[in-house]
Amino acid sequence: MSRGGGYDRHITIFSPDGRLYQVEYAFKTAKTAGITAIAVRGKDCVCFVTQKKVPDKLTDPSSVTNIHKITPSIGMLTTGMHGDARSLVQKARSESAEFKFKYGYDIPPGVLARILADQAQVYTQHAYMRPLGVIPIIIGIDEEEGTQLYKVDPAGYFVGYKATASGAKDQEATNWLEKQHKGVDGGFEALTYDDVVQTAITGLQNVLSEDLKSSDVEVAIAYIPSMEKDGGVYQGGRFKVLTNDEVDHHLNMIAEKD
Amino acid sequence: MGESQYSFSLTTFSPSGKLVQIEYALQAVNSGATSLGIKASNGVVLATEKKLPSILVDDSTVRKISLVTPSIGMTYAGMGPDSRVLVRKARKCGQVYYRQYAEQISVAQLVRETATVMQEFTQSGGVRPFGVSLMMAGYDENGPQLYQVDPSGSYFAWKASAIGKNMVNAKAFLEKRYNEEMELEDAIHTALLTLKEGFEGEMSGDNVEVGIVGQDGVFRVLGAEEVDDYLKEVA
Repeated sequence: MSRGGGYDRHITIFSPDGRLYQVEYAFKTAKTAGITAIAVRGKDCVCFVTQKKVPDKLTDPSSVTNIHKITPSIGMLTTGMHGDARSLVQKARSESAEFKFKYGYDIPPGVLARILADQAQVYTQHAYMRPLGVIPIIIGIDEEEGTQLYKVDPAGYFVGYKATASGAKDQEATNWLEKQHKGVDGGFEALTYDDVVQTAITGLQNVLSEDLKSSDVEVAIAYIPSMEKDGGVYQGGRFKVLTNDEVDHHLNMIAEKD
Repeated sequence: MGESQYSFSLTTFSPSGKLVQIEYALQAVNSGATSLGIKASNGVVLATEKKLPSILVDDSTVRKISLVTPSIGMTYAGMGPDSRVLVRKARKCGQVYYRQYAEQISVAQLVRETATVMQEFTQSGGVRPFGVSLMMAGYDENGPQLYQVDPSGSYFAWKASAIGKNMVNAKAFLEKRYNEEMELEDAIHTALLTLKEGFEGEMSGDNVEVGIVGQDGVFRVLGAEEVDDYLKEVA
């Protein structure tokens, strides 16, 4: 009996046990980049942090980043192949701009996540394109719902999260986050800015078992300046990357807590 | 669909006359979380396990039962991302019909169109079959109806059926419990009891989703508290 002609590992057709090997391999790629990322969603702020690994002493560190601004209120962190990440970021920016043009308001993070996930699904079903070896984590402010955190994977699966992780040590990070979440009164959603950022950074330090300096990490947040709704919507939701000084401030607060 | 380099079908006959890609797709379905449907005398109920991978997942963003037209809903077992494609196509199909005739599409016709899409993906160039089985439920002038569609595109109308991991036990349970005169309320209780049979852990409104359509012809997904109330009644 033919086993898919032996191509089930080369293109996305089913294997005998009902799996898509190409999709599974794409997941592995997202880990080979060697960095880990953690994201936490709080009440007025959602944050993600990732390691900053500059591959070569001759590279200009300011040009090395895994964090990309998509709209003024949505940011994306990518773990995996850099080339695929650039393509994905371009698509995200293009879709967001088109949405704003068509409908007259900022794209909600969940809608953007769905668009990227649907595109990822197409790659798992059509042989002519391979799945992307990238896992994007999307943070942003939804005008009506507030803080949002989504993760999309190469299988086209996406859900909203209270906290999540991706990359090399994603499993350890997720375990740590689950324990922490249970220990916080009201869960992560009750936390505000300082606690959200410090939880995310502490998580990364914990999982990497090393103390981090501001030059080793990239931290970015999407926040709502005021939790008062104006005209039924949260105003002023913004995405920004923290400066080294701001990161140092948080690292100091964490050190003091110990 | 697909580039010219792949204008040959990936789903081809084996020497014994089987389409193995479809068989493999069914494997993917059978490892998915259980979903079931029961047709009552005055309505239909769909129920499904919402198996979330972690407590960190925000379950308010996860919807396994989807509204397709005001009186038709569907759920699935198998690959979630594939089901989104079919939900979208089914919704568009319903809208296109409404735009043409200013009337809601009938359940049988919508099921046929959706099944046709699934069949096309087993024969067209450069694509693989969908890794989902669908359970579609609706109420139209022919009364309550329940259909199951498989990755091959074949579909049947059912009085009660189950798909996914626990389908064998669930179907055996349903065969014993089903009767033609059952009303919607009983059907909901039976559906929850059937899911309970194979459920790992505690069932609650957060990890089970229920959708119903009654004689009013309005399909809706029950809220978590409503599901919890029903669960108390069957405990």
